[in-house]
Amino acid sequence: MDRAFKSRLEARFGEVALGPVRQRHDETELRIAPGDVPDVLRALHDEPEFGFLMLSDLAGVDTGDTMQVVYHLWSDSTSDWLRVVADGLPRDDPRTPSVTFLWKGAEWMEREAYDMFGIIFEGNRDLRRIYMPPDYTSFPLRKDFFLPDDAARSPGGGVRHMERSHAPLGAPTGTIRRMKG
Amino acid sequence: MTSTARPGTHASADDPRVQLDDQIGVFESVPPYPPRTEREAEFYTLADGEMFLNMGPQHPSTHGVLRVVLKLDGEKVVDLDPVLGYLHRGVEKLCENADYHQVISQVDPLEYISSLFCEWSPVMAFEKLLDVEVPRRAEYIRVLSGELNRVASHALFMGWFALDLGGLTPVLWSFIERDEIVEMLAALTGQRMLFNYFRIGGVNGDLNHDFMSRLGDWMSRATEQIEANLTLLNENEIFVRRVRGLGVVDTETALGMCMTGPNLRATGSPFDVRRAHPYSIYPEIDFDIPTRTEGDSLARYLLRMEEIKQSLRIIDQCLHQMPDGPIMAKLPRLLRPRPGRAYAAIEGPRGQYATYAISDGTDQPFRMRIHDPSFVHLQSVGLLMKNNLIADTMAVMASLDPVMGGVDK
Repeated sequence: MDRAFKSRLEARFGEVALGPVRQRHDETELRIAPGDVPDVLRALHDEPEFGFLMLSDLAGVDTGDTMQVVYHLWSDSTSDWLRVVADGLPRDDPRTPSVTFLWKGAEWMEREAYDMFGIIFEGNRDLRRIYMPPDYTSFPLRKDFFLPDDAARSPGGGVRHMERSHAPLGAPTGTIRRMKG
Repeated sequence: MTSTARPGTHASADDPRVQLDDQIGVFESVPPYPPRTEREAEFYTLADGEMFLNMGPQHPSTHGVLRVVLKLDGEKVVDLDPVLGYLHRGVEKLCENADYHQVISQVDPLEYISSLFCEWSPVMAFEKLLDVEVPRRAEYIRVLSGELNRVASHALFMGWFALDLGGLTPVLWSFIERDEIVEMLAALTGQRMLFNYFRIGGVNGDLNHDFMSRLGDWMSRATEQIEANLTLLNENEIFVRRVRGLGVVDTETALGMCMTGPNLRATGSPFDVRRAHPYSIYPEIDFDIPTRTEGDSLARYLLRMEEIKQSLRIIDQCLHQMPDGPIMAKLPRLLRPRPGRAYAAIEGPRGQYATYAISDGTDQPFRMRIHDPSFVHLQSVGLLMKNNLIADTMAVMASLDPVMGGVDK
């Protein structure tokens, strides 16, 4: 855990951060609004104090209430992974700016997040489905998309007890799973 | 094709109301629907003298089921559009509906050439979620078996690369190497390909006599054997002149394309997760990170061959420093990590494998994102291929070493 890095981040991005910068193990988490993504990531990429030249991962997350886009960045200026979470995208119309102007390689990862979650990345030149067929209409990784053998979690509540056993322990049945914490 | 769909819309081939008169329609190079994005419109507009050529999805040199639409001007590739999804099986969704132990067997077939690395990063992420300390002997066994798998993967890369360029001998030679390692790992893990060996908190079995005797036997002649394999290609004028200067990429572009692993190191950047963000017991082990500056296909090939030698060094040190002790941390059968998030990345033979796992306090991961290097590398083929010949498409693609199981997840 890099405490100095946390204070550097708080000093620079204190105003745009939603909540405090959190740290656990070797990860530092900065939570921002989707509208701030281009400015924050550009600053992290360009300013020599940070120098996050490498986009390690870009992931979509459906928390059950909102959508998130999660960026993992690496820099030699810190020993931590930096996780930037663009939080609070509405589930019915998730939109966020693309980061392809900084990392062209984010294009396919954004396509994947679009394909799986329906998140629209504004500014991505090639936002079409990547895995699913072009005429497919749903978004498989959303929490309200149930697997055929996952009927236990659907509003019907499951039919056979074997299906019921697929539901995660401790999770309420009959609703979609929601992220905690 | 007759269908009940409105004119101008695309009807699904799975729709029972649609009768296909012409079965070829599915693999037409030009999609039967209007372009959906700016880039698609640009790609599927032909200038004077240009044509499309459909390569795949069943093409011997696409390393799996990959379809690539090439836009050609004569024999020159102007642009290309990879079409993915033929091997997509929704591993992330399956993992989110499986409990933490079952995930390991779900992620195994991702990069089936180097399965141990696919297991490693999810297992590390779950260990972070659970705050588990892995016993040192288990870490050593992980590194030992992982590096063996890396050698096997790189050996196979050499064979495939030459095969895609039309040389048959190296693939036969490289399978000698790979087969020995795979048999060795089968003695250790019980499987030749999909090992299912790493466990949350350790590994599934201790080193056994069969494995150790095979390993010792192989280690005594591995260096000479690999050197002999290298002479097949390193001094082959046809090979070297064919791949030198082909598919050149510089460090800045490579970072912009999110490339990692040997493909990035071949451009001169010494980024290796084992050193850049150390994990497991790599800080205790002495090895070099080979880099090259050319950034072409030859550099990527030579760099991987250099890495084999470093892997042998690591294996040797692992064998000498292997501590005694338990191979599993004490954990309950039923894992229910506290709600939280964890990210774990490792250096695989193709680059950085990473897992972002979210726990919601139940026995199944709430979200499991798998970052696969093959997927990221494949998208730069278009960039590297600009204005090269058709025959070089395979060379460039093979030099990036994608595995479609990982690309399509």
